[in-house]
Amino acid sequence: MTVLSLGIVRGLAGQLIGSALGIGVSVAVRVAMGLPLEVKEGAIVVGILVGAMGFMIGVGALTDWSKWMLGIETPLRLGPPEGKPSWTRYFGVDYSHKIIGIQYGVTSMVLLFLAGLLALTFRVELTTPGLQFLDNHTYNTIMSTHGIAMIAAMLVGVGAMANYLTPLMIGTSDMVFPRLNAFGFWINVPAALLIGTSMYVGGWDTGWTAYAPLSVNAPLGMQFVLLGVFLIGLSSILGSINVIVTVLHRRTPGMHFFRMPIFVWSVLATSIIAFSATQLIGLSFLMVSAERALGMTFFSPVLSPGAVAVGSPAGQVLLFQNLFWFYSHPAVYVFILPGLGIISELLPVFSRKPLFGYKWVALSSMAIALMGFFVWGHHMFTSGMLEGLRIPFMVTTMLIAVPTGVKFFSWIATLWGGKISLQTPMLFVLGAISIFLIGGLTGPPNGVSVSDLFLHDTYYIVGHFHAAMFGGFIFPFIAAIYYWFPKITGRMYDEGLGKLHFWLMTPGFWLQSLAMARVGLLGMRRRIADWDPGLGIETGQLMITIAGFAIGISMLIFLANLIISAVRGRVASPNPWQSRSPEFQIPSPIPEHSYAQPPVITGEPYDYAEPDSVYVSMSPASSAAD
Amino acid sequence: MSVATTTLSQYRAQLRSNRLGLWLFFISELFLFGGLLISRFYLWGGTRPDLDQRLGLIVTSILLLSSFFMYLAEVGAEHENRRLFLFSLIMTALLGTAFLLGVVIFEWGGEIRPWDGAFGAILYGMTGMHALHVASGIVLILIVAYNGLRGRYTAERHWGVEACAIYWHYVDVVWIFFYPAIYLMGTVPT
Amino acid sequence: MREKIKMSDKKRAAYRTGIVVFLVVAALTAVEFYLASISGAIAVLFFIALIKAALIVRYFMHVNRLWTDEGHE
Ligand code: HEM
Ligand SMILES: [Cu+2]
Repeated sequence: MTVLSLGIVRGLAGQLIGSALGIGVSVAVRVAMGLPLEVKEGAIVVGILVGAMGFMIGVGALTDWSKWMLGIETPLRLGPPEGKPSWTRYFGVDYSHKIIGIQYGVTSMVLLFLAGLLALTFRVELTTPGLQFLDNHTYNTIMSTHGIAMIAAMLVGVGAMANYLTPLMIGTSDMVFPRLNAFGFWINVPAALLIGTSMYVGGWDTGWTAYAPLSVNAPLGMQFVLLGVFLIGLSSILGSINVIVTVLHRRTPGMHFFRMPIFVWSVLATSIIAFSATQLIGLSFLMVSAERALGMTFFSPVLSPGAVAVGSPAGQVLLFQNLFWFYSHPAVYVFILPGLGIISELLPVFSRKPLFGYKWVALSSMAIALMGFFVWGHHMFTSGMLEGLRIPFMVTTMLIAVPTGVKFFSWIATLWGGKISLQTPMLFVLGAISIFLIGGLTGPPNGVSVSDLFLHDTYYIVGHFHAAMFGGFIFPFIAAIYYWFPKITGRMYDEGLGKLHFWLMTPGFWLQSLAMARVGLLGMRRRIADWDPGLGIETGQLMITIAGFAIGISMLIFLANLIISAVRGRVASPNPWQSRSPEFQIPSPIPEHSYAQPPVITGEPYDYAEPDSVYVSMSPASSAAD
Repeated sequence: MSVATTTLSQYRAQLRSNRLGLWLFFISELFLFGGLLISRFYLWGGTRPDLDQRLGLIVTSILLLSSFFMYLAEVGAEHENRRLFLFSLIMTALLGTAFLLGVVIFEWGGEIRPWDGAFGAILYGMTGMHALHVASGIVLILIVAYNGLRGRYTAERHWGVEACAIYWHYVDVVWIFFYPAIYLMGTVPT
Repeated sequence: MREKIKMSDKKRAAYRTGIVVFLVVAALTAVEFYLASISGAIAVLFFIALIKAALIVRYFMHVNRLWTDEGHE
């Protein structure tokens, strides 16, 4: 076996060759047109896109489709590759949703750790006033890359949960479009590389929102980020189409909509947002890209002589914000809906009670998804948008609290009087609820335009959205990893280390978000490398940094726990949590073809209180396993 | 397209999912093209650039005619009329190419350049994004024609033809909205 | 024998639909063009575009196949 038999190595080579080819050809065309030999940004755009294509060709994500075009059949190959060790499956194109789910998960963790490292770097800088070891531009680059890499990590993390769990939970053996699934995963890799590279090609300084016209004038790194995010968006779109069709068409017999595990509902809702709204961040980033590379003035409010000659109006900066937030507000629900779904999924298992108000919780996900499209203006209260729009956006923003509140009440009612067992996944679920509460309570003051005029662009906002994202996505994601770890690996994680992780991370996070909100209220601005010592926020800043390191260390413990337990952990039983969900009725680790026969759904998913009720009845062939 | 290895009922089940998947993709793209349309109204408002009206009408008619031939091609495939199928398919590709040339050579060769304010940006943004879809549609047609020539489609199994056809019509539908938005709506500033 | 006849009936109906839809959409395009030349309102032009699009979506793209599972007989 050579290195080149690993898909990812071929992909990387493909990306290098493609980039060089793209830039080379563009420059050659330039020279042929009689222009001076120069690498302009347009050539680099071509290089980036051809490079990404090169990666996909190299890794082999396009092979089957190309063969189809030539009329060659390609049977869907499952199982470990022939003549290669089975771990190589994870490093190349594989069509099993379980492999792809793990690939997504590992990629998400890698991004999470790198982005976390960036955060710790600039937090050290921010601990004391004055500039210590970062200059302004480096600070901006690191802070911005932290933001966008975290967004990418979360999107990829959503992909991990959606791809691994959805088919299992609806009792089918795979996603309906396995090749599209593999394509959707692999396009993330060149995209993530582009985002990483951005720091070394001049950096960029806009923050994750990439507001024009700042992003139009930013250094070259911006272009890498714009296109990287565009490709990640493509992955989101394709992945969510796959999820929607799978859920609509591949449910096992007896599983009607209101008998699906609640997580499937939330993934469905998330996919509805992701497959539609994502086009608009893609479009807005492409427009900035075109404005940078070709001078197409969508956003810059300047009139060139040529524009005056044809009587053209100028570009408008607010157009960018409208397009961007039309995606990016719903995007926060793309992260949190699966997270909230995990909370609702795990609570009944660990409190041995039915999920309170199942139907309402299911429908609240849909309501949040739809209402999320009508609130984007609350990010623009101070932008100079039409004043008459402030009140309507304020009202819609407040209305979203209703379906979110439905979930909160359901959780509390589910816990009420339950036989609660506090194992690590449950701890993280409870931690998630406590933190999401902070995020949810700090939100409305931003949503009310009068108070937002003061809060906007302060560290208070940073505190708000970190709490919302940690509570709504990161904590549930961690809970999910602990919870399904025995299912995935067949071994148990270490409970002691898990508890240590929890007790370091959760108080750390409470401290961090409250301190962030406080320094913000005292006048700390966001996205700035230095601050005025006169603000009296030394203690607050120090606490944020200390809490950040506590979270970082706890994540290292988490990582160690996962790696050690995957190799040496105690062998787990197929259903360590006495869950009723279909995937826990089959052996661990899950066989290649998850269900030997389609399971039949005969009851309600969360009747934990009634031991005799049956949710999934396995056909004889596969139930012999447990 | 794996013909022999799947039974007809498996093929039908996958066909159902393929259709839904493709339509979801169309809806998704609706947001892309819708975003461009909204940008057009945001930036141009009640104005529009001074474009060659005759050219606009001609390319629009060509694209519509190509959609009609694409329809014939699909009917041909459904009834295993290979001559009709292949002839119409090639006609579609030719008309599509004519449309593309009309936009790229004559429209883009006009007075307005991409960097000429919001007129240039939106005009090239909209026609460019649409042209990209037309071009990919032509590639798809050529692939389908290649496989059609080798007789790989039957009345029961021709998802490739159907997908290509509805994609092509979709691109036409987008132009149905883009044409008035670019050429007809609003007034030319004096 | 009977099958054959039925088949060609169907085929003829399909042709007829195609031609009618094509002609209607072409006529609407001409109307659009004419209205614009005498300064047509944006809303009217948009409404006509919607009708054209609906015709194509229904008859050329067979949107109903999504729920009737027709085609491919
Ligand atoms: C009670 C519900 C919520 C309300 C009323 C709310 C309201 C707001 C408002 C008005 C802003 C803009 C503040 C400003 O820039 O001045 C904001 C920012 C933000 N919110 Fe929320 N929010 C809520 C929940 C969430 C949730 C659940 C998330 C998701 C994870 C979230 C993520 C964010 C993010 C990322 C930003 C910052 C965007 C930026 O970088 O400018 N929020 N929130
Ligand atoms: Cu928002």
